[in-house]
Amino acid sequence: MHIPDGFIAPVVYLPAYAVAAGAWAYAVRRVQASLDENTLPFLAVMTAAAFVLMMVAIPLPGGTTVHAAGIGLLGVLLGVWTTFLSVSLVLLLQALLFGAGGITALPVNALAMGLAGGASAWLAFTGLRGWNGRVALFTAGAVSVLVPALLIALALGIQPLVAHAPDGTPRFFPFGLSVTLPAVLLPHLIVAIGEGILTVIAYRYLAALRAPRAA
Amino acid sequence: MIHLSAIRHDFPDGPRVLEDISFAIEPGEKVVLLGANGTGKSTLLRVLSGLVAPSAGEYRYRGQRVTLAALRDREFGRRFRREVVLLFQHPDTMIFNPTVHEEIAFGPRQLRLPDVDERVRHWAEVFGLTDCLDRPPFSLSGGEKQKVCLAALLVLEPDLLLLDEPTAHLDPRSVGWLVDFLSALKVTLVVATHNLSLAPELGERALVLGEDHRLLYDGDLTSLLRDQERLIAANLVHTHRHRHGAIEHRHFHSHDWD
Amino acid sequence: MRLERHAYLDRAALLCYLATVVALTSVHDLRVLGAALALTLAVAGGGALGLMRRVVLAVGPFCLVVSVSYAVLTIPSGQFSGGYLVLVNLRVAVLTSLTFLVMERVNLARALGFSRGLLYVVTLATSQALTLRRVVEDYRLALKGRTLVRLGLRDRYRHSAASAARLLAKGLHQSGEIALAMRARGFFDDTSSR
Repeated sequence: MHIPDGFIAPVVYLPAYAVAAGAWAYAVRRVQASLDENTLPFLAVMTAAAFVLMMVAIPLPGGTTVHAAGIGLLGVLLGVWTTFLSVSLVLLLQALLFGAGGITALPVNALAMGLAGGASAWLAFTGLRGWNGRVALFTAGAVSVLVPALLIALALGIQPLVAHAPDGTPRFFPFGLSVTLPAVLLPHLIVAIGEGILTVIAYRYLAALRAPRAA
Repeated sequence: MIHLSAIRHDFPDGPRVLEDISFAIEPGEKVVLLGANGTGKSTLLRVLSGLVAPSAGEYRYRGQRVTLAALRDREFGRRFRREVVLLFQHPDTMIFNPTVHEEIAFGPRQLRLPDVDERVRHWAEVFGLTDCLDRPPFSLSGGEKQKVCLAALLVLEPDLLLLDEPTAHLDPRSVGWLVDFLSALKVTLVVATHNLSLAPELGERALVLGEDHRLLYDGDLTSLLRDQERLIAANLVHTHRHRHGAIEHRHFHSHDWD
Repeated sequence: MRLERHAYLDRAALLCYLATVVALTSVHDLRVLGAALALTLAVAGGGALGLMRRVVLAVGPFCLVVSVSYAVLTIPSGQFSGGYLVLVNLRVAVLTSLTFLVMERVNLARALGFSRGLLYVVTLATSQALTLRRVVEDYRLALKGRTLVRLGLRDRYRHSAASAARLLAKGLHQSGEIALAMRARGFFDDTSSR
């Protein structure tokens, strides 16, 4: 979701930064508590992996592809707080090094994708894995796409409401919820299915990769 | 069969990796591609397998020009990819199927060959992989993984087999096995290696890439090994002080004999 | 200490930039935004053209889609406002070009220096990302070499999933190695650095 700067009003992104900052601080404490001195290298490398993960393609029927996000896989594997930090760092790297996505959109993306996406994936997985592993993984992958999409659609859709000229003309993103919700969610439904499938298969490969080698 | 003329290649971010490379290979030849690290051996193999389009020059396979456009043609693309195969240096790079059986069957399945299971079983037997057929390739040892990759490539019955440093990550026993296997194989072979002592076991002809990324030598391998000046120029041998008992001296030599 | 002063300058520049961003999103006067854009391009000097090209490449598609959709949805109902269209696109252009300019001129290492940990993570992540990216590229190339006909969905999913799995496995493995190397070089001995 590479929303350029200028489409989100300060009344949304400033509080978002405040919330994100608090969440980051908390996440750092939680991650350090479990990793201790391994925190930094672990976070750095997983951020790198997450960054490159976004280059992996989700195949769609007809030969087209769309970029994966891998947040479902990360959430299931690393837990909520590490995923939140890694994804936030990836967004930071993308904004700073590649000019992809704006600095005002960063806290919204970080909270939507990193925190909500990671958390919903982890919750779905932990909640469902007792019942059916594959369904748990698929759902984790799917919600890791749909929940952020929903939140971003909300963030964009309220812009006309919260920031407009006295005569009603918008000042930032011009479309209300009635447009953003279907416009964002519908395409992401297909991506969600692809991401779900990817999560199931990738998890299985990962288990095989990390299993102890045969003699 | 293979005809390269004036091939030049630059990496996208600038550095030149191949300069004015021209040579021809006839069917049945076993060629060893030698060169120090970074001289462009991997890149040359990727050019030969049609995975990298050179910045300049012409590559002809059986008389037909190999370009990205030519490979997009269904007929030629399919024929080329079946006849010319490349074994990557790290076997992990090629593996992505859930079982060894599926990995080997991947190629024949694309061609919708009628006897896929037969072929898979045959080649698994050749490589001693019959017991591994239902296991995930990831769980195998380095040597076994390489055998899976070789099986997956040879099941297509290719005409040209390109190997990128095949012994680099193998234990000595597996290297011995590989050398025997390759010498018995009836296929045109190009093996890239920087292991000088192994070279004579792999082929009769040598192509040497120099550090200036040009072709330093193209000819008989045994004569090359006697030409110390050329070997030094190609950075394939080195010199340093060492001892023989009580005597300390230095002379040119190479150490690799995996 | 010259280094200190440079660090302060960079951080001051960064804070200035952030304040400007907030300011630019709080004013809605076309003249102010236009002046800001002119100023940014002036500072860019000879690189102004290259800068604008990068801006157009980065935000052009998104802005185009939004602008066209806006026109299509509002013209029939008579709610179209040309002023809005100019405002939002101008604002996007100013903010994006300012960001690109600042990123070019500010030394990231010095700017992020307020947190040694953050600087370390960003540096290491960038270099690791380059290595991992090559792994994924090679992986894609190997598949290309084994592809004889157009591949079906199942094969393509398997390959993408294997790509993702390998990335994460490699990441998990690498981080252990790097932590060991860091400990060997005494990185963790300096407890006052936090």
